[in-house]
Amino acid sequence: MAKYNPLSRVLCFDTFDTTTHGWTELLGNYDGSGNLDTVDDHMRDFRPPQLSSCSFFDVGTHGTMSGDYALKLATRPYPGHTATGIRRLTMAGRGRVRIETHFAFKAEATVGHEAPSSVGWDGNRHPSESQFGAFTVATDICSDGGLRYHNVIRYQNTNLDGEMTNRWMYPVVPEPTPRDHVEGRFALPYAADFTAPDPADWRTFDEPLELCVNEVPTKINWHYLRWDIDTSTRSNVELQLNDRVMDMRDVPVPPYPDRYGTLDNLLNFYFSVRTHCGIRNFLFLDSVLISVEW
Amino acid sequence: MRHDMRSTMTAVLERNTVVREDFATEPYELPWAAEARFFVQALEADGALAFRTEISPDGLHWCPLDESEHRIDSPGLITWPVSGFGQWLRVRCTVAPGAVAKLRIYLVGKG
Repeated sequence: MAKYNPLSRVLCFDTFDTTTHGWTELLGNYDGSGNLDTVDDHMRDFRPPQLSSCSFFDVGTHGTMSGDYALKLATRPYPGHTATGIRRLTMAGRGRVRIETHFAFKAEATVGHEAPSSVGWDGNRHPSESQFGAFTVATDICSDGGLRYHNVIRYQNTNLDGEMTNRWMYPVVPEPTPRDHVEGRFALPYAADFTAPDPADWRTFDEPLELCVNEVPTKINWHYLRWDIDTSTRSNVELQLNDRVMDMRDVPVPPYPDRYGTLDNLLNFYFSVRTHCGIRNFLFLDSVLISVEW
Repeated sequence: MRHDMRSTMTAVLERNTVVREDFATEPYELPWAAEARFFVQALEADGALAFRTEISPDGLHWCPLDESEHRIDSPGLITWPVSGFGQWLRVRCTVAPGAVAKLRIYLVGKG
């Protein structure tokens, strides 16, 4: 645990040498007869997480930062497709909440043919660099009489045209829910951005930040991420990515206008990865630590 | 590391997927599992479908695990065990001309 910096109470310390530790696939809601055809099209195929030894075609088993296995989220090779891993908790208090991880991100290696890319190979930079879309860390929280909100951070590596952006982003609208669909507010297609479907509803924060890609699609380097939120004020606090610390106090957290039942003290976290092209994108989590100040 | 109890994990590889032509499931990595089992549940089926286990050393290149073929042509649940595989598993499905089915496909690993 010395590679982390937890708050006073540790809720979860998940190392993936022993099962998936409660990180599971996200699925949209369905009707009372268990008919999965009633799951929203954009929320029915987020793919099951895998325990990966981080093995590749060129070097074999890479291994992880902590041991044998990482939690791997893998998209389909379909533009816009998203894979998720979600962890479901509740709150025994209010206050500072911290999620930390060491992660790596990659586009799947292309072998034997060239795939479209906005980055050319020059021996240092590699086309796979621009074949990775985005990863997101987010919450689903509900408290105080059904008030529901999501703290969301996204690292957008490329825009939807595959051009490098390297930007941190946040949505200015709450995530469309199955209830919104039932009430006729949304009907989103397969592979829509489930966090906030309209690209115009995303804003950037901080400066562009280049992460460690390391020249080919099969070298994985573990990045440290720490994100603090505050459930007593329903706000963002601070984000750290390796040696860069970003103040998030001015990044808004839009609540739903309507109240939600059955979610009292909800405290969910999810990681997701989204491809912007027809190439699988991977997010590897070496381990995850969630700690709180209550 | 827990040594007193075996690990198991179920992945839902396809969920109410309607198929009309040949396909393969997404690559699924099970490096820790000593054994595995596929379940194919045909919620609807009109015509013949044949399934074969495929394995891969890298998630990119695939070959059949064995000569076994598993057929279904009406609603129901079929299953078969998998052993002696490498890290990646998937199912390849051949759909007979004119056949259509709605499938759930599960992969269970046990270590």
